Amino acid sequence: MSEPAVELSNCHYRYNGTVPALQGVSCTIEPGSWVAVVGQNGSGKTTLAKLCNGLLRPHAGRVRVMGQDARRQSVAQLARQVGYLFQNPDHQLFAPTVREEIAFGLDNLGFDPAEKEERLEETLKLFGLEAFAERPPAVLGYGLRRQVTVASLFALRPPILILDEPTAGLDWGRTKLLLERSRILHQSGHTIIFVTHNMRLVAEWAERVLVLHKGRLLADDTPRAVFGQPELLARAALSPPPITELSQRLRSLGLRGDSPSVEAFCEEVAQLVAARSEAIS
Amino acid sequence: MRGSGSARGREIGSNLVSPQFDLYVSRASWLHRLDPRTKMAFVTVSFALLLLNDQLTLMVAYLVAVHLLLRQAEIPWSRIRWLWDRTWLVSLMIFLLWPIFYPSGEPVLVGWRFIQITVPSLVEGLSAALRVIDLAFAVLVLLVSTDQTRLVQGLVRLGLPFEWGLGLAIGLRYLPLLHGTYQTITDAQRARGWSPGQGSLIRRARAYVPALVALVIAALRLSDALTLALAARGFQPGQPRSVRRPLRMERADGWVLGASGLLLVAAVVLRFGLP
Repeated sequence: MSEPAVELSNCHYRYNGTVPALQGVSCTIEPGSWVAVVGQNGSGKTTLAKLCNGLLRPHAGRVRVMGQDARRQSVAQLARQVGYLFQNPDHQLFAPTVREEIAFGLDNLGFDPAEKEERLEETLKLFGLEAFAERPPAVLGYGLRRQVTVASLFALRPPILILDEPTAGLDWGRTKLLLERSRILHQSGHTIIFVTHNMRLVAEWAERVLVLHKGRLLADDTPRAVFGQPELLARAALSPPPITELSQRLRSLGLRGDSPSVEAFCEEVAQLVAARSEAIS
Repeated sequence: MRGSGSARGREIGSNLVSPQFDLYVSRASWLHRLDPRTKMAFVTVSFALLLLNDQLTLMVAYLVAVHLLLRQAEIPWSRIRWLWDRTWLVSLMIFLLWPIFYPSGEPVLVGWRFIQITVPSLVEGLSAALRVIDLAFAVLVLLVSTDQTRLVQGLVRLGLPFEWGLGLAIGLRYLPLLHGTYQTITDAQRARGWSPGQGSLIRRARAYVPALVALVIAALRLSDALTLALAARGFQPGQPRSVRRPLRMERADGWVLGASGLLLVAAVVLRFGLP
């Protein structure tokens, strides 16, 4: 059996040594999985994500990345294994052109020139950035700037990708593009961890959900199982996707009340209707 | 909309500054209640006293007095120690180097080649070292007992254009934010394998370009947004404004200003003697 992509064992973290952000969080993220980390503001989502790539080190507990103790590796070393997309694109962009911005990480990790060029061109094409390749990324619109930061991370193709609020401020078209590109990596075995407040994305894309509340892990389950627990969601101050809420309100008609997506809801309704029709006939 | 308060003048909004990144310690002491202009006058007079004179006894006396003043104003030892931590080394260097570069008088304690360490030069060195600490503590009196809003308000009342005062207040307010932004930027670059801090000084300086350029871009975007936000809330340079908490000189200010005046006279007399 392969090593877990990320393994957190009883991790504690306190900002400034006093403000507790994580309190005894343990979880295992299998390689090739697509995991969403959810919770209200200040619940510890970003702290957890930053422990995974070494930007933060736990005050107690242990973090293992691809079977290796994260404490023994620098952030630059971990960057080969774990890519991290920051919330704000302006915290990253600095290069004079989009091309150089994407090449920055490839240079840091010492890719040979031929492979670098190949990845550059491929990434520009994949994200539809060819037309902007020679333009300064800082002057592009927000959506494009966000796309450049995502592209510069995807170019590295790390086995684990952490996307912190990847779709914040993006229109549906760019959100879809980002998720589709993530799916390509996921299908080729990359682990995707995304921190988000968007429950619809969680329901439709994630295989597993980690629910954090006040620095503690409240739940670690499938979206269907998590969204099917209204008490848990209320405690974590989360609101389920509208389709799950509709499904819950129609429980009296015989629905299970945990449909995470429109497709699942339609399927359940179709089964219900078919069963009723059969019973009537 | 113009202000509705009866007192008209200029004020910096108190919500513009942050307690982080400044030395202010919130207390309700008489020192805290003094008008910032009074405390600025005290600092100015202290500078005159300390720069016009060099007697060791004066330096020691000032240091003791200012410590008593700070403690009386309930300033914690941790904040006082903070300044000591930042001044002791440079003061020690002054004390050690002064006798070597400014040998004077007798008796000679140590004589080796061109180095002559004398008792008067040691005393002068100690005095010069303490002067640096004294000057720093004089400023500390102002900074630990005056929040940034009142400080800028005082400067504006002393003639600094309001727009400059507002700029200063915003600058102080955004220091911690920019610091936080810089940390996030370096984290973002490190997450892409960026690792500065190796090689020659020039190489290391160049390695910081990815972080610094990103910081400048973020700061420009922030200032652009802030300008629009100020304009959206009706800020217009040169327009009359109302004052919510006007600065007012109280009786204690009069006493302190009087004492500062006497101190100034003493400084001049000590330096130049009686006419």
